[in-house]
Amino acid sequence: MNFWGARFGSIAGAVGLCFLIDFVARAPHNDSIVSLVARAGLFVTLAVSLNLINGITGQFSIGHAAFYMMGAYTTAVLASSYHKVANLPGPLWLLVMMIAGAISAGLAGLLVGLPSLKLRGDYLAIVTMGFGEILVIIAQNQKALGEAYGLNVAPTYKYVWLIWMLAVVTIAISRNLLKNVHGLTFLSVREDEIAAAAMGVDVTRTKVTAFVIGSALAGAAGALYAHFESFISPITFKMDTSFVILTMVVLGGTGSITGSVIAAIALFYIPEWMRDVDNVKMGMVLAIGIATIISVALIKRTIDHFHGEARARYLRIVGFVVVGIVFAAVLGPVFSNMPSLAVPVEGSKLRYVVFALTLIILMLLRPQGIFASNEFSIAWLKGLFSRKREAVVGA
Amino acid sequence: MHEYLPLMAGLEISTLPQQLVNGILLGTIYALIALGYTMVYGVLKLINFAHGEVFMLGAYATLFMSWWLGYTPQSVMQESNALNLVLMLLASMVFCALVGVIIERFAYRPIRNQPRISALITAIGLSLFIQYGGQIFLLNGVQQSVDQRVNPFQGDYSFDLRKADAALLKQAEELKPKLDSTKAAFEAQLKNEPNGRFNLSPEGERLQKEMDSARRDYDTAVNEGKAAQINVSLSKGKLIMLITTIVIMGALTYLVMFTSRGRAMRAVSHDFNASSLMGINVDKIITFTFILGSALAGAGAMMYVTFQPGTKIDPFLGLAPGIKAFTAAVLGGIGNIPGAVLGGLLMGVAENMVVWLGYDNYKNAVAFVILIIVLLFRPGGLLGSAKVEKV
Repeated sequence: MNFWGARFGSIAGAVGLCFLIDFVARAPHNDSIVSLVARAGLFVTLAVSLNLINGITGQFSIGHAAFYMMGAYTTAVLASSYHKVANLPGPLWLLVMMIAGAISAGLAGLLVGLPSLKLRGDYLAIVTMGFGEILVIIAQNQKALGEAYGLNVAPTYKYVWLIWMLAVVTIAISRNLLKNVHGLTFLSVREDEIAAAAMGVDVTRTKVTAFVIGSALAGAAGALYAHFESFISPITFKMDTSFVILTMVVLGGTGSITGSVIAAIALFYIPEWMRDVDNVKMGMVLAIGIATIISVALIKRTIDHFHGEARARYLRIVGFVVVGIVFAAVLGPVFSNMPSLAVPVEGSKLRYVVFALTLIILMLLRPQGIFASNEFSIAWLKGLFSRKREAVVGA
Repeated sequence: MHEYLPLMAGLEISTLPQQLVNGILLGTIYALIALGYTMVYGVLKLINFAHGEVFMLGAYATLFMSWWLGYTPQSVMQESNALNLVLMLLASMVFCALVGVIIERFAYRPIRNQPRISALITAIGLSLFIQYGGQIFLLNGVQQSVDQRVNPFQGDYSFDLRKADAALLKQAEELKPKLDSTKAAFEAQLKNEPNGRFNLSPEGERLQKEMDSARRDYDTAVNEGKAAQINVSLSKGKLIMLITTIVIMGALTYLVMFTSRGRAMRAVSHDFNASSLMGINVDKIITFTFILGSALAGAGAMMYVTFQPGTKIDPFLGLAPGIKAFTAAVLGGIGNIPGAVLGGLLMGVAENMVVWLGYDNYKNAVAFVILIIVLLFRPGGLLGSAKVEKV
């Protein structure tokens, strides 16, 4: 009884949370806030579904936007011809569209995954990227798909709760997969393919399964995106989007669902906020860049070569971060006053620079991501603040 | 079947040789870039995603050097000489080599002992960083291109593979007097027309029809005569490009095959650990490889933007050539130096064939299609071993 109680309780809680998010997003009566909350939900779905492929199964896909695109375009085309015929109520129609998007993206995932999963990591990465680019080029050149302009999607349903429910379902699928015996095969493939195969795991099948599930979830997200924005264009699904999703997964910690969710939300909002920043001087950008390089170099040195007490080590790292901030604060105004560096820089152009730097710095300082493969839980929090932590980190 | 026929109708066999030549010329550039990918892969087993961006920076080095030499869009300088081109080539190669060394030292070396995925992510990050950083510091809102006055070798060499049909042209010449006479008659009539050109009298209409039919006959004969001609033209600049590339590749072959450093490089590529046990300074060799590969990309970039008039330089210039060169490297067998050259030439030809078939818009997709096909059916590439590394 207790088991079922907890289970229904958590499901009810999750559904309640989705409606709460919807309610909060709509409370200020501001369309842009609703859109921000909704798109953040979509990115959570995308990041967690990519995490299933990249983090949990260890396959390196960098073309996740392609599956998102499959879902969006499939449902856009279906909606234009069948929405009036079907005459379904909004949520039901969206459910059907999500399933359609998921099926088409899942098939695309199968198409890419089945032959290419025999390839090693970096080749697989290239193939997934190539697949995404081919899709974009095809969409840009087909009359039926609206060419470079894009497609209008007939019914518009702005259901924030449904978008977040998809995110919750994605998280639940990933989490439950890790908790039961089927998930172990995924983890074993990530850890060591040969050993997994020796233990009787069908490696290719496991990889393809992960690929299909991950891409189907992205396709469902694409369906919701198309119906939320009521307009889709090939530019939205270019390589850049794939890299953004990849950065979310890598930053959060490959394999950590919590990490993916938090990184997705953070990496979605920070650039959105930067879009409005328009009066940063080029000198300031340069100063921050130099300061970042210096403090990253010092921290990297500490991590590699400092073998003193743990506390001293943390103090040093924090100290170097402070040094970087002070450096930027001093140099920034100096540089900004130089006439050649006083040109303002658009915040929107800075976004991808920040993403790229995040990736590089992360790989230098903490390649396993912020959360590594930990999940958020009470036990983990306790461990974080207890004295045993060193042992855990050392292990 | 017949719905595909309109697609084929646009094909002109007479332009095929020209497209093949263009393809080979473009292919030499791809080959130069592909060599960088393949050599770095050989020693580090790492796909250097930032290589296309090194190429892009080389294009900027060329541009700035040409400006420094006085060939800005506003300048009025007219004459140039070959020395300017050599200076631009050197500037681009040296700058790219420097960038390659910096990338290796500060991005790839610190993570060399970590899983390969980390290196791959770093490479992607670097590539994005250079592109978008370049958008902030290099673009200034306009796409630049190298001023063509810097190239003293203007003009084309033209070769006729098949002459125009002399009989038809002669027939056309015979038709010319008739066209002239009917035209003169019509012009004369036009002067006497009471209602002007657009409201002719019956006599005027008759003369106009005669003139039109004479013109039609003449045009048909001329066009058919000329259609038989197959011509290949080659600009002097592109010829220089071809020769330079061959010289550079010869120098590379010498360096890799006949010097001790080249031997060390091949040893590192063959077995990283064993070669370090044999007293080879692996770090130095890797740096050397990056210098070589990046300098080749720099040379390619200089020729790409100088000898192809009107090539726009922007921070995303390296993306498409980078992907195609990478495909070329994989096609030839990654880690295999002759393979990279072969792959580059094939990629150039393939791209121009797609253009020739009339699918200009798909010319960037062809690289990915070839790449996927190669990876699926012959992951080792054309000249590489069929062995695929496990895990």
